[in-house]
Amino acid sequence: MSWSDPAKLKRVKDFGISGIAFCVAREPGTGKLFFGNSDFKVYEVDALAEKPAPTAFETEGHQSYVTGVVRSQQQLVSGSYDGNLIWWDAESKKSTRTVKAHERWIRRVTASPDGKVVASVADDMVGKLWDAETGQTIHTLIDHKEETPDHYPSMLYAVAFSPDGKWLATADKVGHIVVWEVASGKKAGELEAPGMYTWDPRARRHSIGGVRSVAFSHDSRLLAAGGIGQIGNIDHLGGPSRVEIFDWQKGERLLTIEDNELKGLVEQIEFDPTGNWLLAAGGDHDGFVSFYSVETGKLIKQDKAPMHVHQLAMNDDATGFFAVGHGKIAHYEFKSDSPPGPAEPPLPEDAV
Amino acid sequence: MAQPGSIFCGSTDHGLSRRGFLGAATAATAGTFAADMTRLDALKSPLLAREVKRQQKSVILLWLAGGASQFETWDPKPGRPTGGPYAKIKTNATDVHISELLPKLSQRMNHTAIIRSLNTKIGDHGGGASLMETGRVSDPGLIYPDIGAIAARELGRADSQVPDYVSMYTSTEGRRKGTSGFLGARYAPMFLSDKQVPENMRRLEAISNDDHKDRAALRDLLSKRFTQSRFSEKVNSHTTAYSRVHGLMSSEKLFDIEQEPESVRAKYGPRQFAQQCLIARRLVEAGTPFVKVARAWWDSHGQNFETHRELCADLDHAMSTLLDDLEVRGLLENTLVVTLGEFGRTPGINASLGRDHFANAWSCSLSGCGVRGGSVYGKTDPDGHTVAEGEVGAAQVFATMLAALGIDHEKEYMIGSRPIPLADFGAKPIKEVLA
Repeated sequence: MSWSDPAKLKRVKDFGISGIAFCVAREPGTGKLFFGNSDFKVYEVDALAEKPAPTAFETEGHQSYVTGVVRSQQQLVSGSYDGNLIWWDAESKKSTRTVKAHERWIRRVTASPDGKVVASVADDMVGKLWDAETGQTIHTLIDHKEETPDHYPSMLYAVAFSPDGKWLATADKVGHIVVWEVASGKKAGELEAPGMYTWDPRARRHSIGGVRSVAFSHDSRLLAAGGIGQIGNIDHLGGPSRVEIFDWQKGERLLTIEDNELKGLVEQIEFDPTGNWLLAAGGDHDGFVSFYSVETGKLIKQDKAPMHVHQLAMNDDATGFFAVGHGKIAHYEFKSDSPPGPAEPPLPEDAV
Repeated sequence: MAQPGSIFCGSTDHGLSRRGFLGAATAATAGTFAADMTRLDALKSPLLAREVKRQQKSVILLWLAGGASQFETWDPKPGRPTGGPYAKIKTNATDVHISELLPKLSQRMNHTAIIRSLNTKIGDHGGGASLMETGRVSDPGLIYPDIGAIAARELGRADSQVPDYVSMYTSTEGRRKGTSGFLGARYAPMFLSDKQVPENMRRLEAISNDDHKDRAALRDLLSKRFTQSRFSEKVNSHTTAYSRVHGLMSSEKLFDIEQEPESVRAKYGPRQFAQQCLIARRLVEAGTPFVKVARAWWDSHGQNFETHRELCADLDHAMSTLLDDLEVRGLLENTLVVTLGEFGRTPGINASLGRDHFANAWSCSLSGCGVRGGSVYGKTDPDGHTVAEGEVGAAQVFATMLAALGIDHEKEYMIGSRPIPLADFGAKPIKEVLA
């Protein structure tokens, strides 16, 4: 039996791919990955093979970057900047349904824990819930503003289901986060994380940043948002990676983690099933995977990833993951043969 | 219905008799232009605007500071490894496609020519900007005037009382004022940086308006007496300079967009770049031959696609509104609207999803005056790494702008005994994009 131990994080292997992988889904219990790519295609690859060789889904597919791919029951659903969601038969690699889902670029797609509902977010600033089996719209979620306060187009980047499937979080460029009740499609809460949006009114007169990732803790009580902190020179992603943790039902920000050691966007967050740590992954020109204590925000372990990480797929037992990104796929493990010891005492507030 | 002897299409806006029109035109075009808004008010008549346009050509340079991506603007390559996520869209010009980030401009391509084959080689901001502003590589022994100063020199009126060259650059990154080089201070830009209205134009608070006018009248009287019995170029020059300064002091309202009807301001909208384009239109309408509006900062080493999503929205709206406004006023065919920057951006997409500096194969656009709308000159290879057809440099673009304005690009300025052509030696205009 294995237990997760972030302190034992190690990169098992990485291998090159053509283009940029923006999203990944995993066949449970295997090394079989499905990833969406900058060449507009969806690929399958056995990442545990000695020489992994991605195979493209060759039938008529997307017309732009593939930015979301999820396993949903026996199907695969992908989303793209072309605004379409495509349902695929994962075995035959043939599309079975194409839905014009959004008027603008789809940024992320995710599936409910039971695989029955698919959620998508796009730059039309609308979130949508889809019946995974029929492809019908269940709810259209409207709350994010189309323009930033500075009158530029906003972007709706992030979406995540709670582990119990009751809640869905969506987050946008200016740091507006909304929690929706999945059953009714009604707004259940909202949070603000403006520290992840940098508007430069003087030197460069445009913006950068946004909330790029959201995740619920396994008891659905906490909501973490990831992005990048304030940036001086917005020509580059030279700001601290940033995570904010909220008690979303109380509307309280509990913790802010800013990390200047390995900078850039936090593209994905994963909570530990036991509630002790969270994993943040992303990057700037380089990449990172970083484990932090949920209690204190203290860095537990960090690795300079071999590429900017766009998404990762965690093992079912949370002892490893596959990360995909700019030109590479990397396999990490962080497992121990013995259960973890007691949690460390919290740090003083000014230590974070 | 139009009546015999009148020029009237039926619109109340065009309700001007031929006699009235000719009288107004004569008043407005004879002698010096009044810069106290009389001319701008008169130009609300499209008929009068058309008369003025025959005499006055102008340039509005939209300077895309930092280097806009040709892939996300004028030369999209969707589906290629270098192409990025955005699609190309049809335009109202046959077989011309541009980035989907420019949907409004796509419906105005009948006014616009695209040059897709710039190879300007210089990939640093300062060097690239200097090259594209002057149309030639810097010479340590001579400071060349930029396109604004040359336009001011060639298109401006000696007796004009509006500024000849206005340069707006509000952002601080990469800020450049522009230079008149060897043409001297007379053609230097009126430079607006932090504010949209020029500073130091107002009379001193301690001097009343009546005092101000009385002083001018006294100076004029003494000057006339002095010149009654003698001729002096110096005195004439002195008088012209005074007259010009008085005109400039009266032109403050040209920079005030509150003078525009709400309906016009609403079209331009709340963003600064568009509002500066509105100021540019007001200046051009009043007779300013060259206005530069810099929109910084396109230097998207990280997050190129997010940056262009914002900045292209700005460009698309501002330039489309400007072209429409100029067209409605009958000014577009005499106003050259240019998009240009110091270079383009790399085909390669870096790990921060950015594009870096790239001067080997990039694009610019010309619209309006003297331009064959809907034309495309030059071609890059399928991935945009190199120019495949019609390679041109900064000098040819410079010569083309001059030719579009009807200025002889081979005309020479004599600097001492050294002849300096307006466009660099040997440069030819790109005739394929000229009307």
